[in-house]
Amino acid sequence: MDQYSDSDWNWDFFKEMVEDIEDNKNIIECISCGKCVGDCPAAKISNFNVRKIIAKVLRGNKSVLKDSDIWYCYLCEKCRRLCPRDGINIPLLIIDLRNESFKKGFGPKYNDLNKYVEMSERFLTSGVVVEEPLGEPLPLERIKELNIICDFARINYVFKASKANKNKIKNKKR
Amino acid sequence: MEFNPLALNLEEIEKKYPDSPLDFFKDKRLCAFKACLEKYFPGVRYGILDLANELNLKLSVCEGQSCCSGTFFQRNLITRAQFAAINERNLYELNSQSDIVLFSCNGCYNSVMRGRDFLKTPEVFQKTEKILNDLKIQMGKKKEDDQKYKILENPSVRFIHDLDFVYLIRNEVLNVLKYNLKDLKVAVHYGCHYLNLSRDKHTVEGYLKDKTKLDELVQLFGGSALDYQEKDSCCGWGASQILINPREALKITHDKLQSAENVGADFLLMPCPTCLYTLSKPEYREKMYKWFGDKLEIPTIHLNELIAILLGCEQERCMSLRRTTPRLKEIFEIITND
Repeated sequence: MDQYSDSDWNWDFFKEMVEDIEDNKNIIECISCGKCVGDCPAAKISNFNVRKIIAKVLRGNKSVLKDSDIWYCYLCEKCRRLCPRDGINIPLLIIDLRNESFKKGFGPKYNDLNKYVEMSERFLTSGVVVEEPLGEPLPLERIKELNIICDFARINYVFKASKANKNKIKNKKR
Repeated sequence: MEFNPLALNLEEIEKKYPDSPLDFFKDKRLCAFKACLEKYFPGVRYGILDLANELNLKLSVCEGQSCCSGTFFQRNLITRAQFAAINERNLYELNSQSDIVLFSCNGCYNSVMRGRDFLKTPEVFQKTEKILNDLKIQMGKKKEDDQKYKILENPSVRFIHDLDFVYLIRNEVLNVLKYNLKDLKVAVHYGCHYLNLSRDKHTVEGYLKDKTKLDELVQLFGGSALDYQEKDSCCGWGASQILINPREALKITHDKLQSAENVGADFLLMPCPTCLYTLSKPEYREKMYKWFGDKLEIPTIHLNELIAILLGCEQERCMSLRRTTPRLKEIFEIITND
């Protein structure tokens, strides 16, 4: 079993996470009971372990941002339901850690990024994630609104990158 | 700003209308939230529309409403404030055209509640306000459009999941059904975002509440709801895990399908088209066969599709021939065979 002394605890990382999202302050209430891991779907098929991730954040261990572990979370919120402490929002912590991971230049290795690019394109061009949705299409004005809201969002960069890519391919074919 | 809860208070309706909860909905404008994945399963939409029609309820399909954008928030492609802003615009449209919105998708229902929840954090509230204000300026809108680009303080609209709706008025639903389940054995799957959404874990009742509605509906409609090991597990979609870690994600899906097959279920029933997509997509079943060696053939049906079948709708309208889930036609024929 790991042993930790007072000098192993570095609160800087934890403070950064709390500055980012105030709700993260509640992870200090974690008693390391492991209930979150017991019925976690990701834990069944990988080394994903929420208890260890929380411990790493509290110890200031930023390697958690590089690890692939945080990308295994299913965001099913079962852990939040089972956690005996009030206020620990594990899915939100995971989303925040993933954000930090992106900012540091890490991020997941998408097995099929094309599908996500397609979904992003459709959302910004028609307001839905599928082609030819059932029923009436969204009015152009509403689509314009979505584009304005997402102007500086990652989804827009994904969309622009895919458009640039498509133009490159078109130009090559000519 | 105080946020009133948007979920319809079902207990209150049951108290006020103990004999006929359907009466509560009779003078209300109802609209069905458009879930993106209904495109692949049109019976999910038609089922609830046809049911409302049979019950003489005014149910239309929501207009001017975009995708809930939950999937992009979950994948860090939009921030909480951007997600909340998209949600507020949808909420404005829904509030303008309806009193009650029905949701056929766990993900959409969760997204709308979550978007509203994020606004309780002051920082997110301010950022969302700014986004909406900038949006108003860029859209060149006039003063009369003020409310459209503001965070709605106390919207009058209320939300209800289709499962909760059907369960609430189950006796009235039973009266209009043409067919029954003919003792078919059904494995039910609630889905994570229905099971785990804001659950009160301090009491046993709070923990168990809502978890039996689908089982009870199956029994009421003439089938038997089976218990199986993976009943509470995720379908495997896992907020697009299938795109990042497909083998691991499909192991979850495989275990769920296999567990339901092992107890002899005739089909798997669920209240969410995203779960339905994951559990029934032929490409995923082929991958599971290739990776894990099991040919899984259990059919999968959405609650609304089942309602459509039991109402006596034509096969194309209930389930669509685009569905290639194995043995689905067989189930349809068993139920509708006089």
